[in-house]
Amino acid sequence: MTSAMNTQNKGFPYRWILYLLAAIGTVLIVKRFIYGIGAVSNLNDAYPWGFWIGIDVLAGIALAAGGFTLTAAIYIWGNEKYHPLARPAILTALLGYVIFVIALVIDLGRGILIWHFFLPWMWQHDSVMFEVGWCVMIYLTILVFEFLPSALERFNWKTLLRLWEMFTPVVVVVLLSLFTYVMTYSKTWTTTVFIMAVVFELLQSIRVIPRSRPVPVLLIMAGVILSCLHQSSLGSLYLIVPHKLDVLWYSPILPVQFLISAIMVGPAMVIFEGLVSARVFRRQPELDLLAGLAKVLPFLIASNLLLRVADLVGRGAVVAAFELNLKSVMFWMELMIGGVIPLALFGVPEIARTAKGMFWGALLVVVGLFLNRFNVAVVGIEARGWETYTPALTEILISAGIVSIGLLAFRFIVRNFPIYEKPLVLAGK
Amino acid sequence: MKAMLIDATRCIGCRGCQVACKQWNGLEGEETSFLPSQKETAGEFANRGYQNPRDLSAKTWTLITYNEVEIKGRLEWVFGKLQCMHCGTDSNDRNKWPACVVSCPVKALEKTPEGPVIWHEDRCIGCRYCMLACPFQIPKFEWHQAWPRIRKCTMCYDRLLHGQGALWEPACSKACPTDAIVTGQRDALITEAWRRIRSNPGDYVNHVYGEHEAGGTCVLHLSNVTFDKLHYPTNLPNKSLANYTNWAMKGLPYVIVTLLAGMAGIYTVRRSKIEAEKQFSPGIESEARDHD
Repeated sequence: MTSAMNTQNKGFPYRWILYLLAAIGTVLIVKRFIYGIGAVSNLNDAYPWGFWIGIDVLAGIALAAGGFTLTAAIYIWGNEKYHPLARPAILTALLGYVIFVIALVIDLGRGILIWHFFLPWMWQHDSVMFEVGWCVMIYLTILVFEFLPSALERFNWKTLLRLWEMFTPVVVVVLLSLFTYVMTYSKTWTTTVFIMAVVFELLQSIRVIPRSRPVPVLLIMAGVILSCLHQSSLGSLYLIVPHKLDVLWYSPILPVQFLISAIMVGPAMVIFEGLVSARVFRRQPELDLLAGLAKVLPFLIASNLLLRVADLVGRGAVVAAFELNLKSVMFWMELMIGGVIPLALFGVPEIARTAKGMFWGALLVVVGLFLNRFNVAVVGIEARGWETYTPALTEILISAGIVSIGLLAFRFIVRNFPIYEKPLVLAGK
Repeated sequence: MKAMLIDATRCIGCRGCQVACKQWNGLEGEETSFLPSQKETAGEFANRGYQNPRDLSAKTWTLITYNEVEIKGRLEWVFGKLQCMHCGTDSNDRNKWPACVVSCPVKALEKTPEGPVIWHEDRCIGCRYCMLACPFQIPKFEWHQAWPRIRKCTMCYDRLLHGQGALWEPACSKACPTDAIVTGQRDALITEAWRRIRSNPGDYVNHVYGEHEAGGTCVLHLSNVTFDKLHYPTNLPNKSLANYTNWAMKGLPYVIVTLLAGMAGIYTVRRSKIEAEKQFSPGIESEARDHD
């Protein structure tokens, strides 16, 4: 994330920092594939998951939530004025997921075998990891379909664009049904989902239900379903470790907490990114639209905070928050930075309307989410007393390298494809 | 279902089982040192300093632990044995599967009907979720290999299946000179464990570790001191950890259908309203939408 913040400095050669970080990261990744994960990380038998899972996977995926929350607001709720923000949010989500897959292949010991997820005789639908894997793959496909119009418009391929509009619903119906079948092995559920999707599509085509054009609403709906499942399943991953995760974070409603906090960070990320990218690409930020999102944020932050506190009280874990140790300090930092302070900032309309206020508020929400996921994955995990884990510098550099590659890709795509509605000023660099 | 019974009161700490395990499974030796690690307190060092090596690893699948315990005013060694507990008592019931088996996305870990939990090299993708999930911290990883494997005790599955004559029992159990480790049918061993407890009053704590822990394991322990003194996890539930996660997986289709129906409903209502507004007052449509 340090690289993302560098991008605000106008005139500062942030681009070269990204290239440098990407180069360092690439060298370390090569080292990892030759000498093993132990050569570039402090992960060990007591802490098999660490920084990479916490930051690249848990936090990274949550930050991609801007894609599904915003598209849901625009295409399903019908808040069309936010349309200019949709494509950047979809692009962020797409790149976020691509980065995530790269990071995953590095973190997996035998990542090249990731296609084992597709082999029916290896399917193990009781595993949360299995759900996570399938959600990633199907949602990534859906994101590609959501992104395609930008690419097709760029090259002015009108026929392909029409084909896209025609065939996307078919692809979505197949993907949704396939996903349901793989997760349940149940013909009844699969048929139910298949029929629901087909009927909805047919009702649209005979105009009983208004048709959404040009973006098929079923595509957006599938994106929302897969996102909700994916975000919550990342929390479900930790359901199996009641004996290892500290009471401050372990909760039977972890999946719900992960989903709600992802929905909270979605708009915050859109605001943050909208302001930063406006600065970087020298364009006018959509201030009025971003301020509209900022109006929703206090409610989302408050719900997330309320759920968190109610859960702690309900499980009688509040006592643990008042012991003085690293865990409780990290817990309070998470609660203050990601909850209380931004709630106060966004709660005051005079602050929430200004670009500066929105920037800092959104940044705090994002940082708070990072802290939360890092706490679940690293700080909250208890191994036996003598075993420790502190992320290695090389671990952090690999993550920074991958994120830098993602930001450079974002920059390239924004400059070459119709992502922002307001034209870019491409003077200078 | 096969199981092992490990009786701490019979163990003399010879570590013949460790050697036998390395020999049968062809595991490399470890470089060890007799120095406390950075984070070890004096107490922890006193407990772990004398065991060799310090902990299980990809190269060491079983380990005799040295625990200094005060018994009736005297300090005595009580020996524990770390190895895979081969959780689960029913390979067919998904709700009773071991945590590692339930967490594996590609069926690389398998609870066999014979009892042992084994790992399949041709399936594993190296996600290490089994390591996180295991309540006994048993699966280990080859951190310094380009093509790493998950390594752990197999209860000498090859011997159990194909062993001829006296070679059928696991190597560690075969090597044990005092019969501190015996192998047999799980039910029979539980009966035997309780027989030992009942017929030797005062010699054992009244607990067969593994009978109910994590839903019941195929490795059972007896001891003369409480099991926390042997540093075995004592905060485990009496049902399989699978139960903590499979409800979330079973709820999945309900979530899909609810979201699909809910969003279709919201879309229909909202879209119809917006279209109606457009028809009646095409001029102020954008304003009307701004009120949302």
